[in-house]
Amino acid sequence: MIESYYLLIATFLPLLVSPIAYILGKKKGSDATTWFSFGILAISTMLLFIASSNLQGGRSAYVESYAWSQFGNFGLRIDGLSLPFAIIINILCTVLTLYSKPYMLHKIKESFEENSGKRESASDSNEYRSNSGGNEIKTLTVSKSDEEQYVNHHMGLYFALYLTFSMGMLGTVLATNLIEFYVFFELMLVPSFFLLAFYGYGERKRIALMFFFWTHVGAVVLLLGLLAIGFFAGGFDYDTVMQNVDKIPDQWIVLIVFALVIGLGVKLAAFALHIWLPYAHSEAPTPISALLSPAMIGIGAYGLLRLWLELLVGDYSQYSIYINLWGLATMIYGGAMAMMQDDIKRLLAYSSISQMGYILFGIGSESVLGITGATFMYVTHGLGKAILFMMAGSIILQTGTRSMSKLGGLAGRMPYTAVIAMIGALTIMGIPPTSGFMGEWILFNGVLQSGLENSDTLRIVAFGLGILATVLSAAYILWMYKRIFFGKIPEQYARVKDSNRYVIVTMAALAAITLFLGVYPNPMLNPITDYVQEMFSGDNTVLQFSTANPVNVTSSYMNSSNGHVTVAGGDS
Amino acid sequence: MVDLHAIIGFEGIGINAWMVWILPFVGAALIPVIAKVGNHARNYAAVGFALASALSAATLLPVALDGGQIHSQINWIPILNIHAGTLADSLSIIMTNIVAWISFLIFIYSLGYMHGDKNLTRYWFFMLFFIGSMQLIVLSDNLLMVFFGWEGVGLASFALISFWYHDKKRDFVGTPGHYAGGIQMWASPSHAGLKAFLMTKAGDIMMLSGMFLIFGYAGTFGFTELLQDQSWATEMAKNNLLVPAAVLIFGGAIGKSAQFPLNEWLLEAMTGPTPVSALIHAATMVKAGVFLVARIGPLFFAVSALNSSQFFEVIAWVGAITAFLLATQALVNPEIKKVLAYSTGSQIGLMMMGLGIAGLSSSFVDGYTSGFFHLMSHAMFKASLFMGAGAVLHAVGSRFMTDMGGLMGKMKKTFLFMMMAGLSLAAAPFITSGFWSKDAILASVLESGYQYSWVLFAIAVMVSFMTAFYTFRMLGMTFFGNKSKFIQQNEGSHHVHEVSAVMWVPFAILAVASIAVGLIGFTFEHQLHEMFTSYLAGTFGIHSELSEGHEVPTESGSGFLGLEELNPVAVTASIGAFALGAILGGLVYMKRIIDPEIVSRSIISRAVWKFFFNRWYLNTALYWGAVVGPLAIYRIIWRYFESTIIDGINPGLQGSMTYFSKVIKAGQTGIAQTYLFVFAAGLMIIIMLLFL
Repeated sequence: MIESYYLLIATFLPLLVSPIAYILGKKKGSDATTWFSFGILAISTMLLFIASSNLQGGRSAYVESYAWSQFGNFGLRIDGLSLPFAIIINILCTVLTLYSKPYMLHKIKESFEENSGKRESASDSNEYRSNSGGNEIKTLTVSKSDEEQYVNHHMGLYFALYLTFSMGMLGTVLATNLIEFYVFFELMLVPSFFLLAFYGYGERKRIALMFFFWTHVGAVVLLLGLLAIGFFAGGFDYDTVMQNVDKIPDQWIVLIVFALVIGLGVKLAAFALHIWLPYAHSEAPTPISALLSPAMIGIGAYGLLRLWLELLVGDYSQYSIYINLWGLATMIYGGAMAMMQDDIKRLLAYSSISQMGYILFGIGSESVLGITGATFMYVTHGLGKAILFMMAGSIILQTGTRSMSKLGGLAGRMPYTAVIAMIGALTIMGIPPTSGFMGEWILFNGVLQSGLENSDTLRIVAFGLGILATVLSAAYILWMYKRIFFGKIPEQYARVKDSNRYVIVTMAALAAITLFLGVYPNPMLNPITDYVQEMFSGDNTVLQFSTANPVNVTSSYMNSSNGHVTVAGGDS
Repeated sequence: MVDLHAIIGFEGIGINAWMVWILPFVGAALIPVIAKVGNHARNYAAVGFALASALSAATLLPVALDGGQIHSQINWIPILNIHAGTLADSLSIIMTNIVAWISFLIFIYSLGYMHGDKNLTRYWFFMLFFIGSMQLIVLSDNLLMVFFGWEGVGLASFALISFWYHDKKRDFVGTPGHYAGGIQMWASPSHAGLKAFLMTKAGDIMMLSGMFLIFGYAGTFGFTELLQDQSWATEMAKNNLLVPAAVLIFGGAIGKSAQFPLNEWLLEAMTGPTPVSALIHAATMVKAGVFLVARIGPLFFAVSALNSSQFFEVIAWVGAITAFLLATQALVNPEIKKVLAYSTGSQIGLMMMGLGIAGLSSSFVDGYTSGFFHLMSHAMFKASLFMGAGAVLHAVGSRFMTDMGGLMGKMKKTFLFMMMAGLSLAAAPFITSGFWSKDAILASVLESGYQYSWVLFAIAVMVSFMTAFYTFRMLGMTFFGNKSKFIQQNEGSHHVHEVSAVMWVPFAILAVASIAVGLIGFTFEHQLHEMFTSYLAGTFGIHSELSEGHEVPTESGSGFLGLEELNPVAVTASIGAFALGAILGGLVYMKRIIDPEIVSRSIISRAVWKFFFNRWYLNTALYWGAVVGPLAIYRIIWRYFESTIIDGINPGLQGSMTYFSKVIKAGQTGIAQTYLFVFAAGLMIIIMLLFL
């Protein structure tokens, strides 16, 4: 019997070592803590890959389960559904550690100068200074060591919070228990709140509070739904819920679905629940924006897939059309608002809303292909949007502004950033050979198929408008690109240089992944399709994917294993 | 003859079919690396990759002449039952050779034209990417891979149209200060690139929708698979979806080939360097649409017999409208490259007309051959004309023909070869390939038996007349008459001179080729006709009743032997249109006997001139409807919904909480008497409620 703790280590290692990251930063400086955090997250990512190599297609899963409390077992599970989410979260977290180093150094030094510069007036920004005793001295001669101390302290703190954040996100998607899901869901909120409040821009504390408030309200609404499920089903473990789903009274199902959709919709920033997102994403420090936007909000989509579509089988088709239309509205609205922005990061924030609309659109499609496509969209949006946020960061680093009306013609001065940003832009626009196209065509194909299958005019019209919205996406992304990189270069940026290796190499790594998945999507697509296919195999309201015309093809997924493969059992 | 050859897979030259499109991509990927070695190495490497791809394409030719086929597949996305594969049959082998060889000549020309540009690494990368994508479209065996190439072409064109992204005034197109209906009619390179990308994207989503429809019923994107099992077509026809699906796929071709109503991007696309324009117009991009129709047309014809006639009607009419629309605009434009661009759109319209009429007539192969033949001859003379125009631009330094004039003496070679290619475009009778291919289209329209064929025929003849006129106008304004003021002014600093051999040889080859093909035109067409007859019969089972009694003796050696086969009406109309247009154009712009200002004397002719010059106000409508309008709506939503209501929720909530706390606070006076009073009052009320 193999006793393995891959997922346990992958999840909790970052949390356990986060104090070390802080101490390392404080004592040894930013290099040490950056590479330490990178190493830890790289180990965590490797463990995820090892664990997922045990998957055998179909609905098989790799599960580690430990006795926990009266809520049930504490489990960590990787399967076709959580795999894409977990892998993308960890890849982004790992890569962005390195990207954080130059960016946060710049940011922290900037705030140090701000603090030491206007000492009298800016009492507000002094709160986070390490030498709070210095407040009394009006004319402080800033020594080198002073700055270094400040920077090291904050780099350490940043990475400690960063590691905790990554743990929260990973835990949420690996959870096997409703309460566990909720705990992780809230756990990722706390460090992200502090990261935003400490290292953000503008009115960062107000915005951090706003971010916390709204997502927390969402989480509480979600909790009500989760508790209701648990009480009726007699347990909080996913497996228990799945077995006892019939015990939930019908009149409660409506309320539960409502609570789940609203609660997760806030996280997902669906149309009308998106109040917090443009602020939080544009004012967060850029590496955190690059995590919040693609990785974190997409967890809302994971929640819908896992908690609603998988656990509460059977009632999905009643509501799917509303989700579909809501997704459509979000898609168009986010795109339209993105057209109105001048701030790069704010534009990208609205773009994220729009992209979440794509995912909702797919989730509401009532077809295997649509849901597969939506899941794949998470992967591709994660990569593409992270690249674009990193581009925004690269531009902020070099020019000090993120207002597009002040920028222009940077393609010649920042060629690497421009080229990689183009790949990111293509991913978001859904142009081959990036992974964006793979996600998009499967998604839209699914939506159209299910509309045709039921001769549902509404769905077909929604499909038409949805695919038209991809032109809108292309428009705002390319317009942004044109305003930043094309045209006449402003006088003051005529000597701008491209960002350093930390920025370029990390961006290039993500670009390589999106190109790879765009040409050869199988490593991600196979587990997702297998899983979603099996998930709905008994549900005839959902349009199955079948190859109507199997010409000389061996359909290997037909006879794949159906059972859950439990490898490790812990000490229960 | 039905082909008796075994289908070639990966063995032997089968692998070359893959190489044709893979090599340019490999080259593109290597260009940034080779650039580290040196600029010369990079430039020659790029040309070398183009040549290698062209040579691989040439090795396939024997297969096409034999009526054979190369088809090989690998697993791509097994879980969705999707394969990657190349399919090289007669159609795609001919096409791939046209693309490869014309691209190769344009690459050589680029060596001269782009000499000294600082960003050549980017240039060569996207040029190679461009032809790789185009070859992918041509050689793919399924629609999904075609779409990969399709978007690759779009991306490359975006990058190359906005190649001079710094938006310097001299790289603009259009007349500065020209507004039509409140919309600016001149554009910067970056604007033009964006416009091209978005407009073709609008076509692309139609194509995708059509593909999804077919995939939904057939479960495959493969051309051969679709043909093997045709039950999907019956099923779709039952649901009235077959024609919509076909028309939607044709929507992609409308976008890429700049057909009405998505034609407006093509004119601004002239901001790119001239070799790029030549590539877009002759070999890649706009030809992709025509090729796609040539690829799927027979498929839809085969699977649905005559039920898909509406589809072909749409193709024919879109082609006819575009041909006419853009020809009228070419008559009045002052920019040499834009005249050529309008001309391309117009000629593509004629090709579409030919391909469309194929499905409406009893002899599918006639229209099919004529459309494709015109594609071939257009590829030759248009590439030549663009490169010649580039030479003129290079020499003069202005894009306006009004700044040229009298160049004949200074640029003898350019003049000679542009004249040859121009005659081919104008369809000078019997000696140019353009004449034979256009005549084939006219004849196939006339003989089709389609009920409105006479309208199409009349449009085609009018277009022929206008083509001859604007070609002579362009040549006349550029090479004849006196030197313009612009040239005279710049004579001191910038001397007009003939271009170097690396530039003129490529377009000389194509100009000569278009005349050479013209001299053997009829035989050539006949060969093509025969090849397509056996291709259509062998692959799609489309037998043309007419062509069986149409056998021409195989010993016909000379091109003029079969002249009696020609349709007399078509030939007469074609010659008449050419003569009229050429004489008129020659008198006005070459001999300069008639003053072109004559149009401004009458209100009507001036109004017509203005209507054409303002592009029928289509660009204006496009911008109001698709850019200005939506942006205004978004701004209203932004201002009155997002910024007011959505952004107001948070402060509103905060405000109401503060207010609520104030209300509560008002009661918290801290004075004991008040509390006692309230307490007593409350107690009284409770007592009264309980006991009274």
